[in-house]
Amino acid sequence: MSDTALGPAPSLPPPSDGGGARRAEGVGRSKALTATTLLAPATIFVAAGLLAPLAILFRYSLNEFVARTKTMVEALTIQNYITFFTDPYYTAALGTTIRVAVTVTVACLIVGFPLAYVVARTQSRFKHLLIIAIVLPLFVGNSVRAAGWMVVFGNKGFFNTTMMSLGLIDRPIEIMFTEKAVIIGIIAVNLPFMVLSLQSVIESIDRAVEEAAFSLGAPPLTMFRRVLWPLALPGVLAGTILTFILAMNAYATPFLLGGPLFKMMAPVIYNEFTQKTNWPFGAAIAFILMAVTLSLTLAANVLLHRRAAR
Amino acid sequence: MNVAIIKRRAGRWALNGAAAVGLLYILTPLIFVTWLAFFYQEIPSFPPEGYSLRWFAAILDQPKFVNGFSLSFQVGVIATLIGLALAVPAALCITRFQFTFRAPLASLLLMPLIVPGVVLGTAMYVFHVTLENGLDVDVLGTFYALVAGHVVIVIPWIVRLVTASLSGVDRTTEEAAQNLGANAWVTFWRITLPAIRPGIVAGALFGFVTSFGNLEMSLFLVGPGRTTLPIVILQYLEWKIDPTIAAVSVVQILLICIAMLITDRYVRLARVV
Repeated sequence: MSDTALGPAPSLPPPSDGGGARRAEGVGRSKALTATTLLAPATIFVAAGLLAPLAILFRYSLNEFVARTKTMVEALTIQNYITFFTDPYYTAALGTTIRVAVTVTVACLIVGFPLAYVVARTQSRFKHLLIIAIVLPLFVGNSVRAAGWMVVFGNKGFFNTTMMSLGLIDRPIEIMFTEKAVIIGIIAVNLPFMVLSLQSVIESIDRAVEEAAFSLGAPPLTMFRRVLWPLALPGVLAGTILTFILAMNAYATPFLLGGPLFKMMAPVIYNEFTQKTNWPFGAAIAFILMAVTLSLTLAANVLLHRRAAR
Repeated sequence: MNVAIIKRRAGRWALNGAAAVGLLYILTPLIFVTWLAFFYQEIPSFPPEGYSLRWFAAILDQPKFVNGFSLSFQVGVIATLIGLALAVPAALCITRFQFTFRAPLASLLLMPLIVPGVVLGTAMYVFHVTLENGLDVDVLGTFYALVAGHVVIVIPWIVRLVTASLSGVDRTTEEAAQNLGANAWVTFWRITLPAIRPGIVAGALFGFVTSFGNLEMSLFLVGPGRTTLPIVILQYLEWKIDPTIAAVSVVQILLICIAMLITDRYVRLARVV
């Protein structure tokens, strides 16, 4: 996965230019024309559909909002950004988001590694079905998966009924509309991404190096720590980055499992935009979310690389 | 028996057990949604009073599910077709030509994958408002604007999977065809296209499913009376969870499952994901 579909920046294969020797000038020009006709439509479409909207959104984030009339006034101020960082309501939402995202990422790594390893090493002819079982939930949609957890966590849900009939608890435990429910839900959403990132890297590690460690007398845990983990680090990095970004931006899961009082950044942005119609502030929060996510990802990247180098 | 062998066998079982826990965790929400769809009673309480298939018939009584499905399907198909027309040539260009700004342009085409859905949605929303004010035409909440937004998120999938597929194609076959007198178009149609078909199929599938399931961005782009299926599901779940919505989910799960199994026959998903 890290080199095809979902990993971070893909590494481009060098272009295979056919000949190799420099062709005549005229051929070069017609080639340039071909290249432009091939690439231009998609590039223009994405630039117009993504870059232009982001630029306008950033411009909006510098505007002012008059609460009394609920209108936006053209301005050039960073007041929206200051408001965000001085209002405890919003900093708390940012704190919750980071806390949830970190917890989810660590949990995904712990739960996902054994599964990724087994999938990578299995010789079974049902391996492709195993992969489909991991990929399928990705496509089913976060709301549907949140619905599944609602069935489990409700007061008369599976978890509470089972625990009570076993006599382990006297009255239902409140799980729905808590941070616990949100964390459990997002772990399930992000786990496939982590597993697929790890699996593709583990698959490329030669089985013989593990055998060598074993035959030299290393117990499994030592083999894992000294051989498998260092070699799998690129996959670990790709998986944690992806999981972390997705958790930071989660919308449906906190919205449905956290309830109206639980605040994470993505639902807050949606709220500012549609409920309060405060576009400048909503735009500012959107850019803060992107900036925080990006800088934390970069920091983790540097940290892990330094660790790996040591 | 040898202690080392016993230890190793125990370790193997522990590993497989941990892997099973991981897989079960991923599948748990789907298992419970499916279970609920067959409940007899309307309230999701355990143990179920009995089982029934009536909720699947109940889906058809609620036009919003049918309409939502039909809109999501239309948008997904059209966005995927436009995405293919734009992204396959772009992928061809990126893998076949060397030019300035090649890497940044490739990153631009993949960027929609990493911009958060909510940010993408808000950005497109203000963009549509600006266009509407500037051009004096309806943009916001129209079908075309929704499709255009979805094309943006479909393109990176196709670029990514077709690029991966193209880099594995042997160029000498193409050169042989051209030496034998085939022009560029015939070479592409008869040699390159069949070779990268798995990548195109996978890209189209991932693109379609991404579009079909998109929630965050679409929330900002839909208009009154025009809602995609994921949004219908979200809004329904905000109020209640019952076997009807579970039945809707099961139908969706089944369709995606079938689509994936069919795709898997053409191109091993294990290799492209």
